[in-house]
Amino acid sequence: MRTGVVAVLLLCTAGARAQDVTVEELMRAQDDALRGASSTGTMTMRVKTARWERSLTMQSWSEGTEKTLVRILAPAKEKGTATLKVEGNIWNYLPKVDRTIKVPGSMMGGSWMGSHFTNDDLVREARYSEDFTCAFVEKPDGKTRDHWVIDCTPRPNAPVVWGRVRLAIRAVDKLADRIDYLDEKGARVRTLVFSEFTTLGGRKLARMMRMVPADKPDEFTEVHQDDLAFDVKLPADTFTLQALKK
Amino acid sequence: MRTFQLAWRNIWRNRRRTLVTVGAMTIALVCTTLYGAMVQGYLATLERDALDAEMGVAQVFAPGYQERPSIYAVIPDADALVARLDAAGMTACARLLGGGLVAAGESSAGAQFRGIDVQRDAAVLVVSRGVVDGAWLDEADPAGVVLGRRLAHTLGVKPGDELVLLSQATDGSIANQLATVRGVLASVGEATDRAGVFLTARAFREFFALEQGAHQVIVKRPDVVDLPALEARITAAAPGQQVLTWRRLMPTVATMIDSVRGLVAFMFFIVNVAIAIVILNAMLMAVFERIREFGILKALGVGPLEVLRLIYAESLFQVVIALGASLVLETPLLVLLSARGLDMSSLAGVSAVGITMASRWYAVVGVSTFTGPAAMMFFVVAAAVLYPAAKAAVIDPVEAMRHA
Repeated sequence: MRTGVVAVLLLCTAGARAQDVTVEELMRAQDDALRGASSTGTMTMRVKTARWERSLTMQSWSEGTEKTLVRILAPAKEKGTATLKVEGNIWNYLPKVDRTIKVPGSMMGGSWMGSHFTNDDLVREARYSEDFTCAFVEKPDGKTRDHWVIDCTPRPNAPVVWGRVRLAIRAVDKLADRIDYLDEKGARVRTLVFSEFTTLGGRKLARMMRMVPADKPDEFTEVHQDDLAFDVKLPADTFTLQALKK
Repeated sequence: MRTFQLAWRNIWRNRRRTLVTVGAMTIALVCTTLYGAMVQGYLATLERDALDAEMGVAQVFAPGYQERPSIYAVIPDADALVARLDAAGMTACARLLGGGLVAAGESSAGAQFRGIDVQRDAAVLVVSRGVVDGAWLDEADPAGVVLGRRLAHTLGVKPGDELVLLSQATDGSIANQLATVRGVLASVGEATDRAGVFLTARAFREFFALEQGAHQVIVKRPDVVDLPALEARITAAAPGQQVLTWRRLMPTVATMIDSVRGLVAFMFFIVNVAIAIVILNAMLMAVFERIREFGILKALGVGPLEVLRLIYAESLFQVVIALGASLVLETPLLVLLSARGLDMSSLAGVSAVGITMASRWYAVVGVSTFTGPAAMMFFVVAAAVLYPAAKAAVIDPVEAMRHA
């Protein structure tokens, strides 16, 4: 009862401001950013670890968030290696042995193409607006603060491996530029930083994405979107195992 | 008084009573000896089964490997380390370890790749003899791999089938390779059954682009294990590396073996106490029945100490006869149980806390198999006779002869 009154009071005072956005609206905007859109583009993934550094050029096709096909264009040694994601499943095509492998459930936490992204990152369909309870930590005040900082805690039984996710969303364009992933104890596990905000394929988005694991701050995986087109007409068989081999 | 001569005659005066007493002792000796040999066998098997498949008595890792296994955490001069351990009188082998994925047709599963030196490994561990279907690795067939039982089942493969191995090489590239199933193992232990993929060291090095070093050096279990001394010797041979004894590597198994040992020792104690009570009863009866006879001896002027000595001499003869009889009875049984064992196949393959039950249960016979129960028998008889013998020694002759 008392918290209810406080919440109403807070809502009333916030209502007068320019940044009159609810958490729900913001999170739905995050969820819907790429929803339903078909796209195709090329990207460069740079992976740096303590032992090696490598760069892969890849072409990608996607339909909403459910279907994705990524194929390596360079280097030559790995050219043709491809990943297909359809509704929670991942298959890898290996041109060297000319075989397709379905990634088993036990390996979903494993690295994708040697990067700091996991197979799970590709597959997880968690939606902030449905699978998390989100709350503001900070709001832009038009002066020193120009971000919303939002803490999202997974709901019970949500398909999420994190204890908490903290997003920083730019007040300018409501795009996230930093996401911290925390474990159950509240310790940071990794950080995803977005930069180079630009208009690509007619949409405002971050061109560069950089993942840094918290326990190895010298390592990272960078994905640079070289070009991107939205609402493209994709052949009906784009997201099939046959197409994966092409 | 010629105590021994008298005692010898005495025990044959009442043949039936002597035979009952000696019989009870013989049965007790046979039971405790056989039980002891089987228990020793069980404990030895328990430890051997836990260690010989893939554990060894101790293992050496690069520092940090245990906390965070990594393909890069290698012992750089593993071959030299193996040679040093050999020189120090231990047998050891080096293994290469890496994680990844293995797939066959539509199915795939997580895999623990183990690159092994085929000959060396077989000298240290018995996993190579555990192939139930197909054959073990062969250096001449680098594409051939051997799978754990459950992994083969998960993938639905048998010897001759094709596999795809997938992982990440040490240079960051995608390691992928076709392989052929050469063999499938029997149940060895939880991890190997579920995910073990054995390949030759050469094939492993090519697959992971790993030129130098090894991840694990396994030291063979010697016949007599003095763990602290062994650990010190291995540590001396492996400076800068982490040495872990099997007790540290499998604390649950070590605790289980210890608790089984404790339980068995307790059972052994209970069995011995039960047998001691039976012997005690027989000896008590044997002396009290003859209380009038001892009264006459006393009346004839035999001293209390001599009565005591006589009763002890009689008991000694009976124990010696029982020992002889029990040896005759139990020897063929021990030979049979240690050579053929008991068929435990109904429990074979049952895996508990990472170790798998053997299919036969053998007795282990040593000097202590015989000396233990014999010493126990001497002690029990001496204790059992003490009270009635003392009573007979100090009894008043008139009192004793009136004794009904």
